[in-house]
Formats: sequence, structure tokens, C-alpha cells
Amino acid sequence: MSSIAKPLALPHAEEQEDPREQLMHDPRSRGEMNDMVMESMHSTTWKYWTVTGILAVIVVVCLFYAWYYLIMQGLGVAGVNRPVYWGIFLVEVVFWIGISHAGTFISAILRVLKVEGRRPFTRAAELMTTFGLVQAGISVFLHMGRVWLSYWLIPFPNERGLWPDFHSPLMWDFMAISTYLLSSTMYLFLPLIPDMAMARDRSTGWRKAAYRILAIGFRGTEGEWKNLITAMNIFAFAIIPVMFSVHTIVSWDFAMASRPGWSSSVFGPYFVIGALHSGMAAVAIVLFLIRSTMKNMKYFLRPEHFDLLGKLMLMVSMAWAYFYFNDYIVSWYGGDKWEKIVQEFTEKGPLWYLWYAMLFFNIVVPFAVLWNKKWRQTPWLLAIVGLLINAGMWLERYIIIPETLTINRMPFTWRLYVPGVEIVLTIGNFAFFFLLYMLASRFLPLIPVWEVQEGHESHTLRKIGKASIPTLSDME
Amino acid sequence: MSDLTMLLAVFEDIEPASGGIEKLRDLGVADDQMNVISGIPIKATILGRRSALTRVPAIAMTGAVLGMLLGLFLIYGTPFLFPLNVGGQPIYPVPQGIIITFEMTMLGLMGFAFIGMFVDSGFPSYTPKEYIPEISDGKIAILFRCPDNEQKKFIDALKKLGAESVELAEARQL
Repeated sequence: MSSIAKPLALPHAEEQEDPREQLMHDPRSRGEMNDMVMESMHSTTWKYWTVTGILAVIVVVCLFYAWYYLIMQGLGVAGVNRPVYWGIFLVEVVFWIGISHAGTFISAILRVLKVEGRRPFTRAAELMTTFGLVQAGISVFLHMGRVWLSYWLIPFPNERGLWPDFHSPLMWDFMAISTYLLSSTMYLFLPLIPDMAMARDRSTGWRKAAYRILAIGFRGTEGEWKNLITAMNIFAFAIIPVMFSVHTIVSWDFAMASRPGWSSSVFGPYFVIGALHSGMAAVAIVLFLIRSTMKNMKYFLRPEHFDLLGKLMLMVSMAWAYFYFNDYIVSWYGGDKWEKIVQEFTEKGPLWYLWYAMLFFNIVVPFAVLWNKKWRQTPWLLAIVGLLINAGMWLERYIIIPETLTINRMPFTWRLYVPGVEIVLTIGNFAFFFLLYMLASRFLPLIPVWEVQEGHESHTLRKIGKASIPTLSDME
Repeated sequence: MSDLTMLLAVFEDIEPASGGIEKLRDLGVADDQMNVISGIPIKATILGRRSALTRVPAIAMTGAVLGMLLGLFLIYGTPFLFPLNVGGQPIYPVPQGIIITFEMTMLGLMGFAFIGMFVDSGFPSYTPKEYIPEISDGKIAILFRCPDNEQKKFIDALKKLGAESVELAEARQL
């Protein structure tokens, strides 16, 4: 007898997933969730202190002592020299600003679009923005050399009668990064207020005093919530164009100079998408570390959140590939002699392997892994992909800055950049980022509990036919 | 006319709390004589209340205008104070002006939204206030004023609707 349907799957092969696997359908009481988050902040083992101690030592030696050495000896101990005056310090600036982008972007865009999956991890992402910008700021000062003269950036005449020129892309950069640092710090603080109040209500001693100050007297009255949510909505909408502007302006530091390899009209969006590429990958790493090292975090950070992040990473990876190819093909086809030399130097020069590694990490790895739902939902795998993408994006910035600067229109000045003290300082930069995160994890609630509870209130399961379908009510 | 007393009724959930608000209104408590305190934001319509007014958008817009003026000063005012001729570019260019003006406008908008939230909510405030820590554990409290001699009537009515406790509101150090 012939069948009237396509072959059916084996029994139970497509059984409905248990809705309780999703955070929003596995509610716990607010009190219980508060206790879990507080416990995660209070639990410190010897392993935590060992790692924190090691990071602190690295920061003292590799960042502060090496910086002191750099100041005392002068920029000569760094590898920057004619024609490569922008070395790893600038690579670090662009890299950390990129990292900082995804934190705010993920939080703001997902809040604006009311994506429910955002709820447990926006705080962790926003913190990344602030700490990333701290590293970017440090790198700018490292690059300056004579940091004590940084006030020359202020529109105030210095002793040599020099004034800052607000028409210069470097000045735009200063203004944009300052705007972004201030606004993202404020944006981090706003949703933190109710959680500070929660922490205040269940703390004692010095913690109580600190949380009391940071909770600024918040109780949760109708007026307070209205003002807070209104301010958060203004920030969520306003910070997105600011985020785009910051990395576009960073790209103009390069694109506005008519140098081979830099002067490109697509550099703005290409840099923005690159920032999101590295930033989202960094969120994956941070979430994995939080989930696997902090108590109770497995309840809040679930495979579904890694799945959401994995999809975003895949989309951004494809977009990055598109923009990179767009930039590449125009230079390749244009036939400009100097552009051609730069491209050949990148692909076939002494550092050719960096170019291939960059393409492999940024395109091949995410394409190969992130199509698969099961793999996306595997936190450690997503963290490894994130790590490789960040390595790839760091290399991309290295190729754009010191490697491209090697080639200019005066061949007699060509010289390969060999970093000096920058390598040590880079290690210090990374250690400082993780140290700040380690310390913050024991003081700031990394999960916005009130947002999670708000999500629980909005979600229900509705029986349709034989299945229970997750249903969402718009309570925001 | 008898004196007014402030009471704090605590509810487990949104449903009985919204019933409590309705009951209070029936008993003659005006809307501006009650306030809902909760651990999550609850839409006013869910509680059958009118939405609280906020001045944050107006303050933020003021900030945006001030920020824009600052941006315009930096890009067009500073060259007036110290004209810098760079590569034959105009001293008062429009395209560059857009960049600094945009950044300063957005900084003003967000900075003042932040300040506005503080100003309109009376933050920071460290004086004692009517509050119980259970609110941040998910309870919903209604803070209201009622005539002193009718306390019992209000307490009984709210307890009948499911209030966990209805007590004299006591200002305490947060």
C-alpha cells in the first residue's frame, strides 16, 4: 500500500523541547533569585584569590612598571620608528574600542527590539564596555608618550601657544570616545540602581554602606520607576547612533589620510562591523567564564542565551566578510600602484601568515561552527570561537595599522615594525581588563535580577493542540 | 476633620494589589494619596492607575540643545578665537561641524537624561523613608493615607483582598 505522506521521523525524534529549559519558563521566586545572585557575589574560593592575585601582579609589573619604564626611557623603547609611528598601542586602542562596542550595542538594540533573551546578560555585556574603554583610554595615553601633556587636548592655550584643532579627525576621536565612555558608564549605572537597592536590603557592614550610597535612595515607587525606565529608553535609542559614530570616527583616523591601504570610503561601516564582530565574540567569552566560574550562574545563563549570541556572531561574521571583500575588491580592481604594493605586501610579504590567519579566524571558523544549533548552544565551544575571532580581529588591526604603515610612497623609508615594550604592555592591558572584571564580579550583581523577574511575569505557556507554546505578554 | 495616617499594605502579587488599589479608591482615597512600591516596573494600566508624570524627556531635550550649542561653539567658536589654517581647508566648514555638533548633542541628551532622572526622583536621598526590604523580594506595597479614626476599616478591607500585612508606615533608614 502506498504512503500518502513523506516518510515520518522516528518516534520521539522531534519531541517538543521542555520549556523549562528556557529561563523565562523556569521561574523562581524573586527572593530566591536575589539570594542566588548575592551568594554568587559572596562566594570567593582560594582559586578566585589566586587568579586575582596573579592578575594583580601582572598588572603591576606589565602595565604600571612597564609604563613607568616607558616614561623614563622615552618612546624609543617601543618599536615605533619611521615610517611606522603607530604601533601596537594604536592596535590596542582600536581593539578595545571594538570590544566595548558590542556590550552597549547588545544591551541597547535588544532592549529597543524587546528581545527577551537579553535579560540575564545585558549587565555582563555593559560592564565589558566600560572596562574595555578603560583599556582603550590607557592605550591612548601609552601612545602619547608624554602623558603629562595630555591636557593639550583641552581647548586652552598651552605654553607654546598651541590650540587643539576641532577640524582634525584625532580631535573628533577624542570627543567621540569621551562621549561614549561617559554615556556607556551612565547607561551601565541606570539599570544597576534597582539591583543596588536589592543588594542594600540584604547586606551588612561595609557592603551595606557602599550599596546604600550606590542605590541613591531608590525604593521602587511609581515615579521612580517611570523616571528610570524613561531615562533607560532615551539611552537605549541614543547610544546606538553614538556607538556607530565612535567606530566610524576611529576609522576616519585612518581613512582621512590619503595613504595606500587606508583611504577608503567603506572604512566607516567596515570598522563598525569589525567592532561588533570582536565585541560579540568577547561577550561569549565573558559569559562562558561567568557561567563556569561563578556560583548559581548556570540557572541564569543557559544554552538558549549562547544560541542567541551565536546567531548574532554568525550574522556579524558574514557582514564583516562582505565589508572586507568590498574594501579589498575595490582596491584590487582600481589598479593604483601603491594600493597594489600594499596588498601584495600583506598577502605575500614577510608577514603573509597574519593575513591568512585573520581570514581563517574571522570567516572560516565562525562559518564552520555557528551554523549548528547544538554547537552554538555549547558554551565552551562558543567561547573558543569567540577567542579565535578576537585573535583574528586583533590581527586585522595589526595588519591595518603597523603593517600597512610599513609601505608608503617613499620606498627608501620602508621598514618593518618590530614591537618592543608594547608586547609587555599589551599583556598588562589584557590582565587589567580581566582583573577589573574579577573584582566587579564580587561587588556588582552581574545579573539584573529585576529584569529577569519582569521577564518571568511576562511569559506564560499556552496549550495549543497537544503542545504547550511559550507565550509572551507585553508588560514593558 | 480627623488627622491622616500613613499605612503600608503589602501584597504577594500584582493581582490582589490592583484589587487593593481599586478598593482604596472606593473607600475615598484619592489617587495622589497613594503610591505603589514594587521590585519591578509595573505598567500603570495593569494596576488601574494613571501613569506617573515624568520630566525626564523635557530635561533631556534641554540637554540636547545645550550640547548642540556647545558643539557649535567648539567647531565654529574656537576657530574664531584662534583661526588654524590647515591644508587650505575652510575655517568654518559644515561637514566637520556636523561631527562635533552631533557628539555634543548626544552627550547633552544622555547626560541630562541621567541628571533628569536624579532631579525628578529626588535622588540621591539618604533620609529615612517608608519602605520594607521585602519589596525587593518581589512583594508589592501600597503606601496610602487614610483618616486616623478609620484605620481599622481600611486594614480589614485590604486584608480581605489578600494583603499580607497592613501596618502603620514607618520611615526607616534604607
